[in-house]
Amino acid sequence: MQTATENRRWSKEYPELGTGPVPAESCISPEYFELERERVFRRTWLNVGRVDDIPNAGDFFVRELAVCKTSILVIRGKDGVIRGFHNVCSHRSNKLVWEERGTCRGALACHFHSWGYNAQGQLTGVPDEENFHDIDKSKLGLTPVTTDIWEGFIFVHLGAQPQETLTDYLGGVAEQFKGAAFHKRTRTHTYKVEENANWKVALDAQNEAYHLPFQHRYSFPGMFVLKDNRYLRLSGVKLYNHHAVWSTTYNSESTPTPTGALMNQLNTATTNSRLPMLGDFDFFVIFPNFVILQFRGIEDDYYMTYNFWPLAVDRCIWEIKFHFPPAETAGQRLSQEYLKHRICDVLQEDAVAHETLQAGLTSRAKTHLILQDDEIQIRQFHKVLEDYMGFFNGRGH
Amino acid sequence: MAEVPLPEPFQSLEPFRDWALATERERRAKRLSSSMEEIQAFYDALFPQLEAVVAYLDRFPLDQLPEEAQPLYHLTLSLVEVTSAVELYHHPHIFEAIEPARFRRVE
Repeated sequence: MQTATENRRWSKEYPELGTGPVPAESCISPEYFELERERVFRRTWLNVGRVDDIPNAGDFFVRELAVCKTSILVIRGKDGVIRGFHNVCSHRSNKLVWEERGTCRGALACHFHSWGYNAQGQLTGVPDEENFHDIDKSKLGLTPVTTDIWEGFIFVHLGAQPQETLTDYLGGVAEQFKGAAFHKRTRTHTYKVEENANWKVALDAQNEAYHLPFQHRYSFPGMFVLKDNRYLRLSGVKLYNHHAVWSTTYNSESTPTPTGALMNQLNTATTNSRLPMLGDFDFFVIFPNFVILQFRGIEDDYYMTYNFWPLAVDRCIWEIKFHFPPAETAGQRLSQEYLKHRICDVLQEDAVAHETLQAGLTSRAKTHLILQDDEIQIRQFHKVLEDYMGFFNGRGH
Repeated sequence: MAEVPLPEPFQSLEPFRDWALATERERRAKRLSSSMEEIQAFYDALFPQLEAVVAYLDRFPLDQLPEEAQPLYHLTLSLVEVTSAVELYHHPHIFEAIEPARFRRVE
């Protein structure tokens, strides 16, 4: 097992990030949050779902993007193409679709005057059309939103003109995951937690392994304390242009719980396609608010995703999705339920910390975050954020 | 309403039939509303047989479980639901966690 024993190794690898404290004002300032709407969330590619969420022609889902003050309709057309639109009727701007997901059979009709749209976003029906003045239905389709797909993940961009294509924006992350068999795993469980925390406070709290042996001492005793790596130093860190990944190893010697031991013996579902992993556990942060977590399993790998959706400077929704190889037997399903259950215990502990952190920051007792070398990815995240925001308020040198 | 009895080898689990719940929401609610004694009794009854139960269930494809196997399958899911309460916390709740209702399963 490879361990990191050298002190402060990552800052030597990425000296440009500095080593000083990071200002915390960005997590509590309402003015900063207002600027983030424009400068971050309208200038970056945002993951809103996966192609398997809408497998058939006419399938759609709606995303309430509160941070961009809009609602987005993502729909698969009769031609199989997935498109994104503002969920707004062309007539007088009523919200068009009110369901979170569904299938368009024929037309999506506005609740106000029943203007109808097909699955390609074209306006197809206007009641009492003859009484309007020179309207041209072909020019009154839904307003498109720039939409693209990467390895099955659907992204939208709400800027008028994206400066980079999705692939360019993802950069090295796209290369790392090229051909990854995400599509062979199925989304089995989705959770949402509405939190009294800034979206970055929630994300930062997840974006390191330092806390695992301490905060999760009840839910995973011993798991994160390795004999030759007792503070769970990271086994890898890779910082990209906008994004980052860090990896850890597990303690394979830690004594499993009785149920855990039994689950380890069950035959597990496999896809015969390992995920392209860097460690036993990889945490990819795709700026600004999307995370892919890869887990090394005994016979096959599984993954989770997080999306942190800002609602206000001190409120966000943490969206959590599990993706496992399709289970064919009860035993396979049960072992997945067990992993999910244990992880959810941890996440329920994490969620409480997001709020206690926010409360502490809001008190302004402290003005900066003090980060150690294995928290360099948080330092990098705040630097990327500052670059988008166009400020320089001291990264620490 | 007559219920299909549990398969022959597992009829000792009949007294715990109220743990045979089809949804995660129901199973979580059952854990949170049960005493540790009730949880422990359920665990003690099922855990020693879990391997045999899974071997029985694995004779069928998951999407074609016979009617009498369904409640048995749901019992195993409830066992997973209580596993950390019994094996780690010795309490129905997780320590230092947000209110369970706020951690919403949406799909």
